[in-house]
Amino acid sequence: MRAFYAMLNTELKLTSRNFIYMFFNFVFPPMLLLLFGSMYGNQPDEFYGGFGAVDVLTPSYMPMIIAVAGLMGLPLQLAMYRHYKILKRYRASPIGAGTIMWPHFIINCLLCIVGIVLLITIGILVFDLRFMGDAFQFCVALLLSILAIFSLGFMIAAVAPNNRTATLVANLLYFPMLFLSGSTLPRELLPEALVTVSQVFPLTHSVTVLQGIWLGGSLGDYTLELAVLAGFTIICSAISVKMFRWE
Amino acid sequence: MAITVMDLTVRYKELLAVDSISFSVAQGEIFGIIGPNGAGKTSTIECLEGLRKATSGEIRVLGIDPTQRRELYQHIGVQLQEASYPPSIKVEELCQLFSSFYSKPLAYQGLLDRFELGDKKRARIEDLSGGQRQKVSIILALLGDPQILFLDELTTGLDPQSRKDMWQMIKSLRQEGKTIFMTTHYMEEAEYLCDRVCMMVEGKIAALGSVEDLVAQMGTGQTITFTTLDDVNELEQVPGVSRVEVNENSVQVIGHGQNFLKDLVVWLTNNQVNFDNLTSKKSNLEDVFLKFTGARMEELQ
Repeated sequence: MRAFYAMLNTELKLTSRNFIYMFFNFVFPPMLLLLFGSMYGNQPDEFYGGFGAVDVLTPSYMPMIIAVAGLMGLPLQLAMYRHYKILKRYRASPIGAGTIMWPHFIINCLLCIVGIVLLITIGILVFDLRFMGDAFQFCVALLLSILAIFSLGFMIAAVAPNNRTATLVANLLYFPMLFLSGSTLPRELLPEALVTVSQVFPLTHSVTVLQGIWLGGSLGDYTLELAVLAGFTIICSAISVKMFRWE
Repeated sequence: MAITVMDLTVRYKELLAVDSISFSVAQGEIFGIIGPNGAGKTSTIECLEGLRKATSGEIRVLGIDPTQRRELYQHIGVQLQEASYPPSIKVEELCQLFSSFYSKPLAYQGLLDRFELGDKKRARIEDLSGGQRQKVSIILALLGDPQILFLDELTTGLDPQSRKDMWQMIKSLRQEGKTIFMTTHYMEEAEYLCDRVCMMVEGKIAALGSVEDLVAQMGTGQTITFTTLDDVNELEQVPGVSRVEVNENSVQVIGHGQNFLKDLVVWLTNNQVNFDNLTSKKSNLEDVFLKFTGARMEELQ
């Protein structure tokens, strides 16, 4: 256990030294909220289905934070650690595989949660953000979103033959997801064909569920979306565990 | 025996990297594998370290099967070829982290002082020189107070002074009773450090023994070099010559026999060859390698 805490503590310090991750987890999402919040305000609006723009945008930015940590942070870190044989060096010691891997998962989870709390805090302080759903159900949906996206990220790290491929695949998934999932652009603005395409991304379903529950829906209204997220979690984790190589 | 290896074979798809080799290493000796790139050195050492699966064969390291990785690493320490550490990590943080891996770690402060890195504790790993980084690798390998230390091309890429420092360190570790298993592709390193040398070429052991024994097997071998502008094509007629190399006006002749030097000089004089800068030296490990493999190490790189 001592090795596990030491590893967690070390990785936490290293992450805090990584400016890019800190920026995209903690600074960029609130910046977007401040920008669009100040443009559209938080008054009920027909375009946003009778809700305030900030009430609708805030939950939709959360999957973006999850994707930064789970789809960029996690796989690129692991691919880099493998490429530079850092994982191999850890294997050449008496510690177990879990002590090497779990801290990466836990820290990226932590980054997500802190980023989301920060976003909500700014929404409340600046725009009188309203939460209309059930907190427990919202947390369940959030957790499932994190698991689905992180599993996909882990799969990229496991399947990519090298550092460069991992970076390429992560980018190729991350950016289309960001713009097509409804996380940054409202899906209503997209052409019909792209809306259909966006259904293959787990992020799209995460946006739908989180936005829906935030605005007063319940888990029961989103069984399809939740099933898709659960499916991604199970399939991607299974492939990752099967395919993962230490070097 | 600290290490025993029986019929170790490692195959990667079509490539036979290690071809049924056997050897054993005694407690307290410095055992070195030497050979060109691709000879199977790293595959062999990584099987002993439990980092690579042998295709077949049996290995025991301190009586432990290396696939029992976590048990094995309570007793051994390794320095990996080309391994690096997380970016922006500080030397002290690395030492603390690796100390936490062992139940009774040595005090890292003492090791840092011993390796003259006491004032580098707060330095980031990427700001160290190559020699300093290799010292950190050794410190991390020593933290668990291992009985056997595995060093894979420890001095590759180091400047001559850092290499000499490393050699002193390795000798002093052996004096403390540690067994050292190392790979290298520097002949002079193996010659200076190793109690026994195992020469590997294309996955096989070409020769194995102490440096003195291997050199003695060469007979009274000698390497004679001189410069000349004249034709020496028929030099091979001289009794005892085993190899002649002509490089522009410099000639190297390898041979053996009690009168080898005298016979050669007589032949040169009789054939009216004008020669200069003649030197003669006794055979060394380089010549042993040449004899057993038919090629120089550089030719095989």
